[in-house]
Amino acid sequence: MTNINNFRKIAMYCMCICGIGFLVSCESMFEFDLPESNSKVDTVLPTADFSFIPDAGDFKTIMFSDLSFESTQYLWDFGNGNTTTERDPVFTFPSEGTYSVKLTVSDNNGASDEITKEIKVEDLFVAITPEIINGDFSDGQNDWKFSSFTNGTTSPYNSSSDGSWLNYDGTDNGSKTAGAKWTMSTSAGAYKSSNTRYAYQAIVVSPNTDYILEYEYAIKNDGTQAPDDNRIIGGIIDGHFDDGADAVPSFDGGSLLSFVGDEDLGKTVFTKVELPFTANASGEVAILIYGVTDVDAYVDNVKVYPKE
Amino acid sequence: MKYFKYILLAVVGLFISSCGDEFLNPLPDSAIVTDAFFASDDEVLAGIIGVYDAIQGVNENTNTSLVSSNRGIQFEYMISEMRTDNTRTATLEGSKADFHRYRVEPNNIQSEDYYESMYSVIFRANNILNFIEVADPANQSRYAAEAKFLRAFAYFKLVRLYADVPLATDVVLPDDNETLFTRVAVARIYEQIVSDLQEAVDNLDNTYKSRASKAGAQGLLAKVYLSQPSPNYSAAEQLCLAIVTSGDFSLEENFTDVFYNELNDEILFAIQYEAGNTLESQSFSSEFTATFRQGREDGHNIVNDNLIAAFNEYGGNRTDQSFFDTGTWNEVIKFLPLGSDITTTPPTYGSSPRDAGNDWIVLRYADVLLMHAEAILAGGNETTSSAAIDSYMAVRMRAGFDASDRPSVLTKDRLLVERRVELAFENQRFYDLLRFGVADAVISAHAEEMGYTSYDSRKLLLPIPSREINLSAGLLTQNPGY
Repeated sequence: MTNINNFRKIAMYCMCICGIGFLVSCESMFEFDLPESNSKVDTVLPTADFSFIPDAGDFKTIMFSDLSFESTQYLWDFGNGNTTTERDPVFTFPSEGTYSVKLTVSDNNGASDEITKEIKVEDLFVAITPEIINGDFSDGQNDWKFSSFTNGTTSPYNSSSDGSWLNYDGTDNGSKTAGAKWTMSTSAGAYKSSNTRYAYQAIVVSPNTDYILEYEYAIKNDGTQAPDDNRIIGGIIDGHFDDGADAVPSFDGGSLLSFVGDEDLGKTVFTKVELPFTANASGEVAILIYGVTDVDAYVDNVKVYPKE
Repeated sequence: MKYFKYILLAVVGLFISSCGDEFLNPLPDSAIVTDAFFASDDEVLAGIIGVYDAIQGVNENTNTSLVSSNRGIQFEYMISEMRTDNTRTATLEGSKADFHRYRVEPNNIQSEDYYESMYSVIFRANNILNFIEVADPANQSRYAAEAKFLRAFAYFKLVRLYADVPLATDVVLPDDNETLFTRVAVARIYEQIVSDLQEAVDNLDNTYKSRASKAGAQGLLAKVYLSQPSPNYSAAEQLCLAIVTSGDFSLEENFTDVFYNELNDEILFAIQYEAGNTLESQSFSSEFTATFRQGREDGHNIVNDNLIAAFNEYGGNRTDQSFFDTGTWNEVIKFLPLGSDITTTPPTYGSSPRDAGNDWIVLRYADVLLMHAEAILAGGNETTSSAAIDSYMAVRMRAGFDASDRPSVLTKDRLLVERRVELAFENQRFYDLLRFGVADAVISAHAEEMGYTSYDSRKLLLPIPSREINLSAGLLTQNPGY
């Protein structure tokens, strides 16, 4: 035991002497050197910059990229006490709006630079505006027919020259344009038969998005009323159908939109309706328009466009 | 500093006499060509052909020195195909293996070579413009338009890869450091590109496919309009439509013929090479081999599983005509050397695979059709436009899909994946991802899947070559993150 203790003591003394020796020698080595000598002033200082891009799946989630020079530390301030020291953070803002984001960068000498940018968080989703083919009925019955109609007719309406005075783009034509016409013999409702005519056009819209179905209609006021009033029914079917015999029950059983228009202001006195609906999950929907009327009734200028 | 100019001139002189090449690029390039002036129409024309030489580049097998030869576009697949989710390199060794792992350093020799090659094109084009009065008056506008087309071609590459770059539109003297090394904003570079290409559209015709043409300029300008910071979609649509209605171009019926029946009806612009000719051939065809190695350096552009999955779903008959599975690797077969036969085991690659003659297709009609759809999409997520879907379906139906596959809505994602499988290995993917605004999202997901930990969004830009920065005496700045 004693031997070992002695050994330890000796070792300790040796280490102390060595330690002192090092201290002394270090001191003497650098005795005439100033601490700053041979070190250069850092003239290349940090410059802060960053870029950002919204996440493809969620416009409120913004991915930031540091584009700074000469920096090793990063402090991001997204406002409301939200900060991070990551280099390339991802941050989700609570809602649409404009936010100030500040990036402060610094190097290991403590030099720093900062930049603040205004981040506009907005939903840039642009809904599809479907092209309604022959929406002004200038091309006869084309593009409004079911491809088949079991126990019915694919003829969609009577082509008429007694349509709206307005062109499809809303300008005044100065005279009547082409339109679609329904009569008692082509009516649905109490007059429903294998001769009942339905105007049908399949369209594709952005899923789950709010839309407007717009059209003009006019009903003569010089005759009798059909049971439950003379009327034009317009709406949106949930899905695409080949056979009218499948589409009509689907429409009757539950549609995305069904509107009954009964303003009978007379021939060529049109009423414009703008009817909101929300698209289904597939975006595959169809326009359906038909009449129940004792007298001549007309439809023109059918449009579908995103709400707002 | 006064003496620096003399020293520089002496050094330049030394190189002219000793190797007569481009060691100190971009400086000596402009210096040399200024001395070599053109005295006749023929010489100006020869000078224009010389610009194509700069794009064509020197085959690595002909001159192995990476320092004294520019490869033109022969290394382009590393920069714009391997730096995407499409392809990778078989090994992890050497600077060529840094691209697919997003580890390109400022001293990367291939990136530097590409940068210099493009400036070589620009300086040579500028020199043509300097001597344009020497040419026959009847040819002057055409020659100038051709030179500007080529200059725009090079700047369009540079601005997308390096962002702000020095802009030289005139012959630059070797001591004009400010022009040579001042980075000019991306928007200004695009302005120059648009103006150059517009002049090319106005003054060229469709005589050539292997040289600048009206249609080539229209197609390139359409892509420029789609790529610039504020895209001009309607102008791009008009240009694509002009190419379509010209009736001068059509899709090859057979996809393979696009690549092996050179300068066919589908080609708008291609860089020509000649098989077996050491001075006019290329090395990349042999570099795409990996299992039965044919190249001086090979195992490049190996097909990623991710791309194979896209081919299996969207490729149609293009799949078997784009790559093949050797059992070890999936290898590109769009540019097999002359005389190759991959039906035998092992495959054969002709008599001189290292001096391959396959043209490099810069722009073809299928690309124009898909750009037409892209222009109509106009940055949106989807379109129901029948014109856009028609163009999209024309390309798909050539790939063997039925007309009944026609979608009622064309989405951005479908268009992007269609471009991916149609134009795979044609150095389009990287630029497509940038244009569609999904480069970071797609490549970061890919890098994570493959374990390429060096990737971050700053790697979408290549570093400005360090040799240029060193020559610039502090003028030229680096891109962030390098």
